[in-house]
Amino acid sequence: MTRKERILEFVSTSDKALTTKEIADALGILRNNTSKELNILVREGQLTKIAGRPVKYQALDVSPKEVVIQEEIVDTLPPSEPQTDIFTTMIGRKDSLKTQIEQAKAAILYPPHGLNVLITGPTGSGKTYFANAMQQFALKQGVIENENLIVFNCADYAHNPQLLMSHLFGYVKGAFTGAQEDRDGLIQKADGGILFLDEVHRLPPEGQEMIFYFMDHGTYNKLGEIAKAHHANVRLICATTEDPESSLLKTFVRRIPIMIQMPKFEARTVREQLALLKRLLTLEANRIQKNILVSEDVVKALLGSVTFGNVGQLKSNIQLVCAQGFLNCVDQVDQIKLDFEQLPQNIKDGVSHLASDRARLSKLSQLLEPVLTIQPNGSAEILSDSDRYELPYNLYEIIGNKAALLKEEGLAQDAINNFIMTDINVHLKSFYRENKISRTEKNLNELVDQDILQLTKNIMQMLHTESGYPIGENFIYAMSLHLSSFIKRVQSGKPMREVSDDLVTMVKDYPEDLTLAQKIRDMLEEHYEFSVPESEVYYLAVLLISLNSVPKHGKVGVVVAAHGNHTATSMVQVVNELLGVDNLAAFDMSLQMSPTEALNEIIKKVVQVDRGNGVLLLVDMGSLGTFSGKITEKTDIKVKTIDMVTTAMVLEAARKTALIDSDLELVYNELRDFNGYSRKPEDPSEELEDVRPRAILALCSTGKGTAQKIKQILDEILADELVDDVSVLTVSMVGLKDQLDEIAKNYRVIATTGIADPNLGVPYISLEDLFKGEHGKKQLITQLDNSKTWYVEKSVKPVVPEVDQAMAIRYLEQYYTFINPKKIIGVLWGYCDLLEAETDLHLSASRRLALIMHLGGVIERVLLGAPVTMTAEQEAEYTASVWKRAVESADDYLKEKLDLTIAPAEEYYIAKLLDTELLKS
Amino acid sequence: MDVKLLRIDSRLLHGQVATDWAKNANVERILIVCDQAASDSIRKTLLIQAAPPGLKVHVLTLAKMIRLSRDERFSKLKVLILVENPIDAMRLVSGGVEVSSINLGSLSFDATRKMITETIAVNEQDIVALTWLKKRGIELDYRKVSSDPKRDLWKVLCDKGLVNEEQS
Repeated sequence: MTRKERILEFVSTSDKALTTKEIADALGILRNNTSKELNILVREGQLTKIAGRPVKYQALDVSPKEVVIQEEIVDTLPPSEPQTDIFTTMIGRKDSLKTQIEQAKAAILYPPHGLNVLITGPTGSGKTYFANAMQQFALKQGVIENENLIVFNCADYAHNPQLLMSHLFGYVKGAFTGAQEDRDGLIQKADGGILFLDEVHRLPPEGQEMIFYFMDHGTYNKLGEIAKAHHANVRLICATTEDPESSLLKTFVRRIPIMIQMPKFEARTVREQLALLKRLLTLEANRIQKNILVSEDVVKALLGSVTFGNVGQLKSNIQLVCAQGFLNCVDQVDQIKLDFEQLPQNIKDGVSHLASDRARLSKLSQLLEPVLTIQPNGSAEILSDSDRYELPYNLYEIIGNKAALLKEEGLAQDAINNFIMTDINVHLKSFYRENKISRTEKNLNELVDQDILQLTKNIMQMLHTESGYPIGENFIYAMSLHLSSFIKRVQSGKPMREVSDDLVTMVKDYPEDLTLAQKIRDMLEEHYEFSVPESEVYYLAVLLISLNSVPKHGKVGVVVAAHGNHTATSMVQVVNELLGVDNLAAFDMSLQMSPTEALNEIIKKVVQVDRGNGVLLLVDMGSLGTFSGKITEKTDIKVKTIDMVTTAMVLEAARKTALIDSDLELVYNELRDFNGYSRKPEDPSEELEDVRPRAILALCSTGKGTAQKIKQILDEILADELVDDVSVLTVSMVGLKDQLDEIAKNYRVIATTGIADPNLGVPYISLEDLFKGEHGKKQLITQLDNSKTWYVEKSVKPVVPEVDQAMAIRYLEQYYTFINPKKIIGVLWGYCDLLEAETDLHLSASRRLALIMHLGGVIERVLLGAPVTMTAEQEAEYTASVWKRAVESADDYLKEKLDLTIAPAEEYYIAKLLDTELLKS
Repeated sequence: MDVKLLRIDSRLLHGQVATDWAKNANVERILIVCDQAASDSIRKTLLIQAAPPGLKVHVLTLAKMIRLSRDERFSKLKVLILVENPIDAMRLVSGGVEVSSINLGSLSFDATRKMITETIAVNEQDIVALTWLKKRGIELDYRKVSSDPKRDLWKVLCDKGLVNEEQS
């Protein structure tokens, strides 16, 4: 008897309607399988479904005791018969993807061979997904016979046109060293089907030429052939994140008739966003085979956490929180719960991002239930190997196995969770390399007792439930360090701190914080069973006031307004991708638009990004420059306008407003003088050099507890970084102004850190950043070294110098005497490419340069007849080296090209260089 | 500061230094002392990235190097110092950096210079600086790799008639 028949029999013989779970439990069949069979039985008319929660099933011939509805349930379960149109299940088919889908269908069905397509859209907007759908559609329609979508990412070999071409077009024996037999390229593999060229803007000019020829004629030649003798019938789908109007793509756009623009996540309707979230969660539910319960807050946080990364980012975030939820509920058999409190901070922050967009929030609230239950549905979404947001293995299986294993070894649950979260972060780092989960607490563990940490969490809970006191990322550090130093003081029997009049006056203005401080005092007294002096209450109040003042100073908003269809948007997009900020908005003013219309649109944007601290308006020209007064009049929001906007200017504005908590006037004044990053530094002799020694301020409410601790940590780091000319000064929040004046006489303050930002117009390092781990600290400090002005480059990637042949030539010219860099560079460059191909290593820019410089030395030594030697030991090491073969074949290339003999000792050094590369990557 | 090796090399930190010298000198840090490199962020980045695994590289100005060498906090730190030319080496030694020998790697050729070995080219200023160093009893050695026997550069300078034996 099949599974279906067993279920049918069981339900038919029962005298009452049954839920899926009852049936599944009674028959020992997995719940989602049961559900699937039940749905089939309903559709076949053998069973009926009874509405309600949970849904019940009964045999058809039993007279219904409850209301029966016979509706189709399509959304959760695709019908089992082969679908003719994949697009009918695509989210957004009726709305934001409507045109796109029509275009796609047209392109596929266009007689006789379809049309080539270019898909554009920002990172993560679903270009690959869409291309896969097109392939499936074409297959179902019978217009192509090749079942595989051939995917090629042009960025993979962008620095090596020859290799790229050999992959695409194939090569014949002897086309180059190492081409030992004929090989077909991807074009041939895609014959009768679709070739998907991702990141097509990275295709080098030679490649473009050959692709164009192929598009026009359907014929091509392999590498090493002269005649274009091969024919293939291939449809092309290209994809790019570039603006199609950029010069890179212009040639492409001219040749490709259909251009499909994927919308960014923000631009999709709220309903679609929610549907996407559900579908992505269902994917995870299918993997886990458990229900996933998601609270309203979590849904909001997840949707709000999507910034520049679009659906892809949503997917990564969902994978992360599901992995975490899975771990926390590993003992629960049938469901996992995603709890808002346990979300990582960056995802929690999504709620506030969302809150700033009232229209979107209210629409979403209408669609949401308090708890969303996602069930596994057993259906297989179209997923392809080329989905870079998809993990290549089942993460949950790994988590489950590992947790079980660790438990067997008798580890405590806390330790297990900690251990596995680290693992999860490693797996999911694709999106957030600097993930903050659990790292925060781990570092804090080194500084304060577990007991105090727990108490701090209780206090957080109390503040949250009783007063809605805003708890920022800094809170847990500041409070636990404060408590820790207070408890130590009590335990060591030192005298209590005095309360100064200043302090009392200051606290008087904040009665609410004082009340909260008293409540915290009560908690302390209860926990430690000693009496806490009144003075401490004041210090606690100061702490609360300081911490609370942070969110009041919202960021300054930035609106970029420029003429043209994409100008402003693309500038903002670039900056968003670089910095991941949320206080930017773009307004594209088409040339037909009237100034009044533009003004109204800009006002909307201004309101959207305003956080109560004013908005900076960056415009290109014309009437746009005159709006600020009118905007302030209508909205009461302070607005400052700067004209002649450039991408560099937007970047600078975003950095100044997001990373440094400064006010509108300050940012405005600084930006007005900004001339781009490439400006030559001003002649130092012209400005009066500031001779005061540099200092970093550490702030806490007393200047003695937390601040001392920070000073210790910073001093250690500074010494480790060999920074000898920066002092760390501890400062109390009480009487801050006077202390600052005093300090300014003797020191130049270059940065501040501690429980609150004193807003001195210099970078502020939050406690969280400071404790983020070895790497974070050091990075912050390294920037102090040798720098006159200094920014916290929080999320900006370090500048990787672009190494090209011209640069290599310059270096070779500078350091070598007997070789001709211009003539030899091609050979050396090729050597590096060959070595990369042979070893599967990717040489970083600086490694490549280092290797080329080294090769220059090798050749010069040969010319001078002055070879290096190696010891017997080194020789043995080289013989055993995994690189030996690769280095030898690369050297053969060099020998052949230049007719030189290279000593094995030289090969040893090259192998060592590769060792270094491997160790560091 | 415990200077295990002071090396003069136009290219400062490169493959051979990273793989051979740094390893065999048994140091904790590599200090690249060069005013130009310290103020050129691209060059600095490239130098720092060329660090062998596990060893930290700092790019410093001459003034800072001299300051650090006098700072008690760093007295135990074992370092390898790289400078670009003999003059910078002279400045460091005159500033109080203590060494008993200096290793010369390569000094790149230009019109003012003259090749004296396969990799070393000197001009008059370099000779003045090298003579100054020699007078302070500092050995000048130009081995290529650390396992070679020591080779005396002073002897080469004498043989070429660029300096008088008595000068030392």
